[in-house]
Amino acid sequence: MITQDIKITNRLGLHARPAAMVAQTAANFECDIKIAKDKVEVNAKSIMGVMMLAAEFGSTLHLTFDGKDEKEAARAITQLFTNNFNEDY
Amino acid sequence: MFVIKGLPASPGVAIGPAVLLPTADFAVANQHVEATEVKAEIAKFNAAVQKTLADLDENEKKLRQTLGGEYANLMSMHKMILQDPMLKDSVIGKIKKEHMSAQAAIFHTLQELAASFEKLEDKFFKERRNDIFDVGKRLVNHLQGDKGQFWASIRRPSVLIARDLFPSDTISLQENQIIGFCTDLGGKTSHTALLAQSLKLPAVVALSNAVRQVKEGDTVIVDGENGLLIISPDRYTLARYKKTQREIKKAESLLQTINHLPTVTSDGRNFKLMVNFDPRTDTKENKKLITDGLGLLRTEFLYMNIPQPPTEEEQHLIYLSTAKKFDMRPVTIRLADLGADKMPDFPLDEFDKDNNPFMGCRGIRLFLKNPDLMHTQLRAIVRTACEVPAQIKIMIPMVSAVEEVRHVRAALDQVLAEFEKEGKKPVNKIALGAMIEVPAAAIALDGMIGEIDFLSIGTNDLIQYLIAVDRVNPEVAHMYDPCHPAVLRTIHQIIQTAHQRGKQVSICGEIASDAKMVPMLLGLEVDTLSVPPRMFLRIKNRIRNLNFEACSDNAQAALLASSSEEIRSLVEQMNQDEDS
Repeated sequence: MITQDIKITNRLGLHARPAAMVAQTAANFECDIKIAKDKVEVNAKSIMGVMMLAAEFGSTLHLTFDGKDEKEAARAITQLFTNNFNEDY
Repeated sequence: MFVIKGLPASPGVAIGPAVLLPTADFAVANQHVEATEVKAEIAKFNAAVQKTLADLDENEKKLRQTLGGEYANLMSMHKMILQDPMLKDSVIGKIKKEHMSAQAAIFHTLQELAASFEKLEDKFFKERRNDIFDVGKRLVNHLQGDKGQFWASIRRPSVLIARDLFPSDTISLQENQIIGFCTDLGGKTSHTALLAQSLKLPAVVALSNAVRQVKEGDTVIVDGENGLLIISPDRYTLARYKKTQREIKKAESLLQTINHLPTVTSDGRNFKLMVNFDPRTDTKENKKLITDGLGLLRTEFLYMNIPQPPTEEEQHLIYLSTAKKFDMRPVTIRLADLGADKMPDFPLDEFDKDNNPFMGCRGIRLFLKNPDLMHTQLRAIVRTACEVPAQIKIMIPMVSAVEEVRHVRAALDQVLAEFEKEGKKPVNKIALGAMIEVPAAAIALDGMIGEIDFLSIGTNDLIQYLIAVDRVNPEVAHMYDPCHPAVLRTIHQIIQTAHQRGKQVSICGEIASDAKMVPMLLGLEVDTLSVPPRMFLRIKNRIRNLNFEACSDNAQAALLASSSEEIRSLVEQMNQDEDS
C-alpha cells in the first residue's frame, strides 16, 4: 500500500474538469485508490465522489493506493496534481 | 388571449402551435419488486445505462460539430457520472438488498447524492447537483420507454412548453422542429439559456406555471425580447408580433452587412467605435467584428482567486495574445482597479479593511501603496508593447489628482529605462491616460490634461460619485440616473476641456451601449465609444442612422434643462424620431 499527502495548487481547486481527470486516470488502474480530506474518504474512480470533496485551492488531500499496480497509479495521479491539471492559472 | 410573464432567456420571437413535453417526473410507480424480479430489474437498469450512454455519445458528437469543445465536454462529464461506481453500486445495492424497483433505486440514489452536494458550501460544487439530475432523468426516461416517440410525433414547426429543460434536451430541439421554447423553471444564465442563445432559439424561462395553462395545439407566441409567453393571441397581437418577427430578421441581416462599413452619421460625422474586450469570453462571432480597437481591457480578473499576484510572465502572455488580435489598432489596458468590491485573496501592504470601500483605497490609490504590484503590471505591458505593432495605451483608474498621474508617469519612465538597458523599445510610443470617474478629476481636469495623453470617462462610477448614490443599496438605487443634469453637464465639461487641449475622449461605461443614450453622447461630441462585443453592431447601426446636427441640437437643449425629467423627454424625442 502506498500513501501520500498532496496539496492542491491549481487556483480553481478540484472542480469538475480536474475531478473528471482524476476519476478517468484512476479508472485505468486495477488497484484501489482512495482520496481523503477532512475525514471524508471517497473512491478516486468516482467523479461524483471526487467532486464531493469540494477540495479548494490550498487544501491537502490524503491519497491511498492499494493493489498490484499501485506504484504506476500513484505516479500517474500525483502527476496530474503537480501539473495543475494543465490549467493555465 | 392570455399573457404570462417570465424571464427572457434567448432573444427573438417564435410563433406556432404549442407542444407539451411529457413530464418525466420522478413519480415512481412501483416502489418494490418481488425477490424473483431482482435480476430482471438489475438487467433493466444496465440496459438503461447502455442506452443512455449511446444517447450521450451521439450528443457529444453533435455538440462538438455545432457548438464546440466546451459543451461537448459537459457531455463527457455526464458520461462519467453515468458510469460512476458510486451511482452503480448504490442503485444495484438498493435493488438487491431492499428489493426496490430499478426506477425507485435510481430515484433514491439521486436524492442521496444530491443531498450530499447540497451540503457543500461552495456554490460552484453545489450546482453540479443539476448535472447529476440531468443524467438521472435520462436514465429514467429509458426505463419508462422512449422519449423518441414524443419527438417523432411533432410534425410541424412548434413551440415547446416544458416544466424544465435540461441542456441535453435543448441540443436536439432544432432537428425536432422546435422553433422556440418556454419553461416554468430555469434562470437567465443556465446552460439551457446559453445553449438557446447559441442555437438562436427564442426562449422564455421562469414562467412558474405555463404547463398548466397551455393546451396542446394552442397558438402561442414566445417573446424572448421581453420574456413573455402569449397564449391564444388575438388577431391584432398576432399581426403585431409577425411584424416584429420580420423586423428582427431584417435587423439581423442588416447588422451583418454594416460590419465593414464606417461608423459615421447620416450627415457625415465620423466616430470611433471600440470594444471592451474580455479574453475569457471571446467567441467566434466576436472575432468577426471589425472594430476601431480595444477601448477597455479590464485586468482585475488576473488578480482574483489566486494566492499570489500574477507574475510579469503570466500577465505578458495574456496581453500579448490580446494585442495580437488587434494588429495595429489601439489596445487600451487599464491598470488593475483593485479594492472596493474587487479584493484579491493575497495580502496587500498597508491595507486595512475599509468601512466605505468605494471611497477608500481602490484603483490607483491601492497601486501607489503597493508599488511592486504596479511595477510588475507596467513591465508586463511595456514588454508587450515592445513586441507588437498595436498602439498600447495605459489607463489609470480612479485618478483624483494630478500627482497620481505624475507618480505613474515616473514609474512608467523607469520601466521604459529598464527595457532600454536590455536594448528593447516599444514599437509605438505608449500613451498614458486617465479614467475620469472621480468628480474632483472632472472639475480640475484643466490642471491634469497637459500631463495625460488621452482620457476615458468611466460613467458608471462617475454617476455614482456625482449623485452620491450607491447602486447596490436598494434604498437609493433608483436615484442612480444617467439623465441627471449634473451628469450631462459634467460629461460636457470634460469633453470641452479635453478638446480645447487637442485630446480625445472616450466613454466605456454602460451608458455607451445604451442605444437610447447614444444620440446624447454623440451630441456632446464624444470621440470614441467603447462597448461590449455583443452590442457592437447594434450601436454601430444606431450611429449610422443618426443625424449629428440633430443630436447636437438635442444635447444643447439638454444642457440647459433643469431636471432629469426634462432630459429624459429630450432623450425620448431623439428615439421617437428614429422610430418614425
